[in-house]
Amino acid sequence: MNIFNQTFQKNISAAKMFIFFSRLMDRPVFDKEDQRIGEIYDIVVRPSQVYPLSHGLIIRKGFPNRKYALVDWQDIEKLDTDGAKLKIDKSRIDFGKIPGEKKELTLRRDILDQQVVDTHNHKVIRVNDIQLLTVDQALMIAHVDIGTRGLFRRLGFEKSVDLTVKLFNPKARYLLDERLISWKYIQPLTINPVSMTIKIDVPQKNLTNIPAADLGDIFLDLNINHQIALFKSLNLTNKAKIFTNIDFKTQHSILDEMNDLEVSELLNNIPSDEATDFLEKLPREKTKHILSLIENKYSRRLSQLLGYSGDSAGGLMTTEYIAFTKETTVQAALDQIRELKFKTEPVQVIYIIDEARHLINTTNFRRLILANPQEPILNSAFPKTYFVHLDSSVKEVAYLMEKYKYFAIPVVDEENVLQGIITVDDILSQLIAFAWRRLKKIKIFQKT
Amino acid sequence: MKNLKSFWAKTLIFLSVMGPGIITANVDNDAGGITTYSVAGAHFGYALIWSFIPIIIALVIIQEMCSRMAVVTGKGLADLIREEFGVRVTFYAMTVLVFSNIFNTISEFAGIAASAELFGISKYLLVPVCALFVWWLIVKGTYKSVEKVFLVACLFYVCYIVSGFLSKPDWKMVAESSISPSFQFDKTYIFMLIGVVGTTIAPWMQFYQQSSVVEKGIRIENYKYSRLDVVIGAFVVNIIAIFIVIVCANTLFTHGIRIETAKDAALALKPLAGQYCFYLFAFGLLNASIFSACILPLSTAYSVCEGMGWEIGVNRTFKEAPQFYSLYTAIIAIGAAIILIPGVKLVPIMLVSQATNGILLPFVLIFMLLLVNNKRLMGKYINSKFYNFCTILIIFAMIILSLILFFTAFIK
Repeated sequence: MNIFNQTFQKNISAAKMFIFFSRLMDRPVFDKEDQRIGEIYDIVVRPSQVYPLSHGLIIRKGFPNRKYALVDWQDIEKLDTDGAKLKIDKSRIDFGKIPGEKKELTLRRDILDQQVVDTHNHKVIRVNDIQLLTVDQALMIAHVDIGTRGLFRRLGFEKSVDLTVKLFNPKARYLLDERLISWKYIQPLTINPVSMTIKIDVPQKNLTNIPAADLGDIFLDLNINHQIALFKSLNLTNKAKIFTNIDFKTQHSILDEMNDLEVSELLNNIPSDEATDFLEKLPREKTKHILSLIENKYSRRLSQLLGYSGDSAGGLMTTEYIAFTKETTVQAALDQIRELKFKTEPVQVIYIIDEARHLINTTNFRRLILANPQEPILNSAFPKTYFVHLDSSVKEVAYLMEKYKYFAIPVVDEENVLQGIITVDDILSQLIAFAWRRLKKIKIFQKT
Repeated sequence: MKNLKSFWAKTLIFLSVMGPGIITANVDNDAGGITTYSVAGAHFGYALIWSFIPIIIALVIIQEMCSRMAVVTGKGLADLIREEFGVRVTFYAMTVLVFSNIFNTISEFAGIAASAELFGISKYLLVPVCALFVWWLIVKGTYKSVEKVFLVACLFYVCYIVSGFLSKPDWKMVAESSISPSFQFDKTYIFMLIGVVGTTIAPWMQFYQQSSVVEKGIRIENYKYSRLDVVIGAFVVNIIAIFIVIVCANTLFTHGIRIETAKDAALALKPLAGQYCFYLFAFGLLNASIFSACILPLSTAYSVCEGMGWEIGVNRTFKEAPQFYSLYTAIIAIGAAIILIPGVKLVPIMLVSQATNGILLPFVLIFMLLLVNNKRLMGKYINSKFYNFCTILIIFAMIILSLILFFTAFIK
């Protein structure tokens, strides 16, 4: 009997376990003498593992001169859709003008009705309601509701709309399809007023796992203040990745918000072709200033790249590539690549040069791995290497790359000294723009 | 030399920022606006021209706040209302906005139908063609291409200025009557005055202006150009309105012809001011109606999707932003279909649109005032005390005017 009773009670509590924040909002709050002191305004939450737990209750009273008070969660005896009952007396609550402290996360101010990032579907969404889970005495954020039903619930029409829909189609998708998204995929966008950054929850790190191109798209859905705050909150690697994936206008705004040190750190970490793409669009004085900030050697290379016209091979190329002198053994070359000596991304192609950096030949990764490790690298080279000059046109470059099926093509100056390489993605974006102007337009406008 | 160079640089920046203010203001001279100004000119001559000066000031002050909020917060007005005042307020505001804009759109299509009759084309041909064109423009276009089309449409308003010159007005009298307010204590005069001022600031304008500035992504350092855009827009729109009044005052008023609509005005112009003046006037009406029939549904779809948190964008496809395009399509379809019903009465439609505007405007203006003074949102860009004083004065005046319009709509 006793056991039965226990399971029975468990069932009841299980049914009551999930609760929508909209059902709690504006419900009355009573003190221990059952005297009404105000209504539920907001809930302060604190991060604990993945799901944040309720930590305090903000009570509101009075109209039109509203006053607010923060009550510790331990002082709450009972909280449900009928309202809240406190363990303490009315006299122990002091009301003030401002609802809660800014630095803590609260449901109503920071999440409800606000935009958040859904890191699962890679989208910026607006929260219609929050689903809470009762755990022991506290509440835990379980899901956010982004569906139409959540909207109707907030408006107080949920029941009547449900009824109408049921009348017409009892199996309607509207009734079954709850648009709830687990909190573990939600990244709030509250900007800390002091540091002006967004707190990214460490145990989840979901935001940083999104591919850079998608994160760039999410970025463009945010307003400028959120963009800047979110950017500042990322680590250097992610900053560099994002920066190369957003449009110039946003890049420019973000750059204006950074100090000299941050700018130099960032520019030192993005590939030279992307850096020049960005720098050549800036006003000349700004470009000069930025070049003066970054490492001497790199800035010289960048200003050299900036000198080439944008649609010539010189303007398209990147100066990050892997090159070895012809005497280097295959083993030594592989070791150096393994040691991450090169900060370049395209590792498929490896260039062979002499002491004066004249281009001699090309090899690729596959040939390198299959070659005898003790032999010099030149023995693993292709029979012949094609290249372009600094002033070659996009068309020439594209034609050669297509003809010889190159992932990357080397660029040399008049004396045959290797200057840089052009990778297939750079050429592809040029060609798409060339062949299909409309597509390029769409791409640019989506970013504005 | 250096000055010249920086002048060109500044002009270039302005050209890139220009758009939202000028477009929003020009849509104000829509079919309804042209009708009001024609009637004002025909019935009262130059006597109402002075009222355009306070209208310019009010328009600049209100629209400037929208522009500023857009640049500083990077959010649309509906977005801000949702975030600061909650979903319930937003929902009801959006519902009223949708209604008011549907009725406004109907009156734009009525303008298209009227100009079809002026040109001797069947309205059953021109209205669906224009509706399709308007729909196609947004669904297939991108923000930049659409904005260019809109700016070209703004240029066509010049035809009212040309027709103004064709009517050979007495410039001395125009100048005198615009500087010296000549108030008449006459019921019809006061109603006309309220009509002229009341049609100037409509709720959709604030939503549209703020969204399009956000969409343009104007940077805070270029804000002064955005403000210039608003000021130019307010001046241009009122100068064109003055020219409409001049044309009608100069021809219809002097001959004592009474009119009810813009179509009457154009028809009456034909024998008095010549064929060219008639065609310019009619073309102006067609252009204004198409232009506004495009912007009103667009602005509605923008605001509603912003407020409800649905995907927005001229740059997205139908699949990516279904609610946005459904709403846009539906409003155009309803607007065009109602005008094609044989024997439909336009007067009640106009009254409903005025009434809904009157209900919504006070709320929108008060929300704006609260938002623009919110330090958390605007930082150092909140209103100054003097600016607030002016704004409150204007808001009071606008609320009283729109309330009077609202009540007279039912009493009459």
